[in-house]
Amino acid sequence: MTVTVTPQTFQFVHFDAALIQRVAESLTAALGLDRPVAIEVDETTPLARISVEIGDTVTIRAESGAFEDTRRPRHQSEDATAAALGRVLLRSRDRLLGGFGEAPADDDLSLAQVAAWETYCVGRLERIGLPVNRQRWKYNFRNRHGFSDVADLAFDRLWTSDGLTWGELDEISRAAAGS
Amino acid sequence: MRKFFPVEELARDSRFNQVTMKDRMADPRSALVKDEPRQKSNRLVPSRPDASAAARGLMHGIFVGEIQALEGAGRTCHDFRTAGDSARRAQDDAHGEDSFADAVPFALKLDMARQAWDEARHVEISVKLSDWMGSEIGEFAENTVLFQAACSTDPILRLAGVNRALEGLAIDVFTTMKEFGDLAGDPYLEFCEDWMLADEVTHVKMGSDWLRRVTEHDPDRRKKALEFQSVVDKLFSYGGTRSDSQESPIGLARRFRELAGFTDDEVEDIAEVSLAALEERKASVARMQATAREFAAS
Amino acid sequence: MPCTGVRPHLGGIVADPYKPRAPFAPWDRRELPGLFDVEESARRIGNYKWAEMKLFEALGGWVATVPELDVKMRLGTHCYKHAWHAELWHKRLPELREMNPERLTQPANDAMVRFIEAMTEPEAPEQTIEKLVGVYRVFIPHFIAAYTFHKNNTSQITDAPTIRSLQFILQDEFDDWRDGEMLIQSLIETPEEVDRAAAHQTRLEKLMIEAGGIAGPGSIGGAGAGGAS
Repeated sequence: MTVTVTPQTFQFVHFDAALIQRVAESLTAALGLDRPVAIEVDETTPLARISVEIGDTVTIRAESGAFEDTRRPRHQSEDATAAALGRVLLRSRDRLLGGFGEAPADDDLSLAQVAAWETYCVGRLERIGLPVNRQRWKYNFRNRHGFSDVADLAFDRLWTSDGLTWGELDEISRAAAGS
Repeated sequence: MRKFFPVEELARDSRFNQVTMKDRMADPRSALVKDEPRQKSNRLVPSRPDASAAARGLMHGIFVGEIQALEGAGRTCHDFRTAGDSARRAQDDAHGEDSFADAVPFALKLDMARQAWDEARHVEISVKLSDWMGSEIGEFAENTVLFQAACSTDPILRLAGVNRALEGLAIDVFTTMKEFGDLAGDPYLEFCEDWMLADEVTHVKMGSDWLRRVTEHDPDRRKKALEFQSVVDKLFSYGGTRSDSQESPIGLARRFRELAGFTDDEVEDIAEVSLAALEERKASVARMQATAREFAAS
Repeated sequence: MPCTGVRPHLGGIVADPYKPRAPFAPWDRRELPGLFDVEESARRIGNYKWAEMKLFEALGGWVATVPELDVKMRLGTHCYKHAWHAELWHKRLPELREMNPERLTQPANDAMVRFIEAMTEPEAPEQTIEKLVGVYRVFIPHFIAAYTFHKNNTSQITDAPTIRSLQFILQDEFDDWRDGEMLIQSLIETPEEVDRAAAHQTRLEKLMIEAGGIAGPGSIGGAGAGGAS
C-alpha cells in the first residue's frame, strides 16, 4: 500500500520524510493494513499529539514531537517514529477489522480508555519486535486507572492480549478504574 | 584541579546529551503559541492528555538539574578559600589565583558540603523515580543552564544564583510535581517530592541567611547580588515555563518561598520577571515562525 | 534525697541503695594516663581539621569532573561527611584552650601541602581512578591510622570528648574507605589500569612518608609522638 508524507522537506526540524515513509511502509506490511496511508507532520509545534482519520485513505496527523529524538531536540528518532505510527496504525486496524464498531470516535474517548487502548497496542508492537519501554506505558496506565494491584493486573492483561473486542477492552479498563 | 570549572566541561557518561539555553531558545517551535488554544491551561496536572509524558520529561529535567546542583555545591566547597586558611592562601598566591577569590566563612562551606550530600540524595531519588515512571537515564536532552548560574567567581553572586534562584526554581518544580502526584494518587511521587521539597526550602533559607550575613555591612554588594539573582530568575523562567500564568506548566510556589525566606516583594518581583519572560518567549517564537514561513513560501 | 545519716527502714526486700560501690565498675577498665597533653592534643586536632577540610574541598570539586554517575553521587555524599569531621574538630579546639581555632588549623608541614597538591592534581574525566586512589587508598587509610593511634593512646578519661568524636569519625572513615575501594575495584579492568593505580598510589605514599602522616611525624607513634603521659 502507498504511503505519502507531507511536507517532503522540513523548515523547523531536521526530519527526513523518506525515513518516515520507510518506517510507515514497513509497519503497514507487518500489520497487514490494506489501504493507503497519508502522513501529515505539523512541524511548528514540539508537542507530540497524533491523530488518525480513517477513510479510503488512513490519514495521520502528527505533531513533530511524536517523531522527535528527545535526546537531540529537533532531530528525528526512528524508534519514536515507529512507536508513534505503530500505535495509530494498530488502532486503525482494530477499527477496520471489526469488534471495535461501538468504540467512540477518538476525540470522544476518555483518558482511561485512551490509556487502555494504547496499552493494548504497545503490547502488540513489542511482540512484533519494536523497542518499547513497558514501565513507561504502565506508568501511563496507572495515572489513568490508579496505582493499585488491580490496575496492574488489568495492565498485564491488556499488554499480553491479542484479538480483544472493544467491549472486552473497555470492560477491563472500567473494572480497573473502578477498583 | 582548577578553580572555577567551565560548564562546557561538565563530565557525563555516553548516555547524556547536553544542550545550552541558547540551543533551546533557537528552537522556532513552541508549545505556547497556538492559533486556537486546545486546552485551557498548560499547567502540569494529571487531567492533561499528555500528563504522563510531560511528567516524565519534567522528572528527567529534575534529575539532571539535581546533578548540576550537586556539582555546583561541590564546586563552591572547592573554589573559594576558607577564611583563615593561610596555607591555601599561600598556595593561591603561588598560582596567582587569589585576585578574584574572596574568602568565605568556614560555616558557609560546611553548609555547601551539606547541600552536596542533599543533592546527591536527590539524584538518587530522581533515578528511582525515573525508573518508576518508565524513563531511562539520558532519555531527554540536558539543559546546562543551572550549572551556568553556579559559575560565578564571586561567592555571593554564586549564592544568590544557586541558593536563591536555582533552588527557588526547585521549590516551584517540586511543588508542582508533589501536587501532580497527589492528584494522580501516585504515593511514590508525592512522598519523594515532599521530602525533596523540605531540603530545597532549607537550601534557599541557607542562601537567604548567608546573603544577609555576608553583606550585612556592604549594601552595594548585596544590591549587586540581588540584581544577579533577578537575571538568573528570568533565565530560569525558561521563557515562560515557570510563572503564575496558567500558560506555564510550572507555577510559582509562593507559600514555600515565604518559608524559605523570600519577602512578599521578592516573590512579586519573581512573578513579574517570569511573566515578562513568558511574553518575550511568545513574541520571539512568533517572529521565528513568521521568518520560517516566509522562507518556505519564497 | 539528701544524705542525713539516717537510713530508712527497707524491710529487707529490696537492694540497699546506700551500700558503697566502687566508682569504676569492675568492667570499666579505662585508664587515666594518656600520651598527649592538652597542647599536643590541640595541635593534632588542628592538623586533622585542616586535612579534613582539604579532603571535603577536593571531593566537592571533583564531582563535576567525573563522568561516572555512581562515583559522582558517592563523592557528593562523602564530601559532607568530611566537612562534618572538620566541624567536629573545629568545635573541639576551643575546648582545648585554643580560642582562635584558625591558628591551629594548619597542615602538619610543607610536605603535607605538597601531598594535597599532588592528590588534587588529576582533573580530566579519564582520571577517575587516580582521583579515587589518592583519596581511598592513600589519604583515608592514613586518617584511619592517625585517628586509631590517637584514640588508643589518649587519656580515656580526661580526653573522652575527643575519643567520642574519633569513634564517630572512624566509623565514617571505614564506611567511606570500603565504598571507595569497591568503586576502584569496579573501575580497574585491565593490567594497565592496575599499573596506573599503583603508580599514582606510590607517588602519593612517598609524599605522605615525607609528611610523616596526617599530623606529621609521630602520627601513629614512634619518633615525635610527643606530649606528656
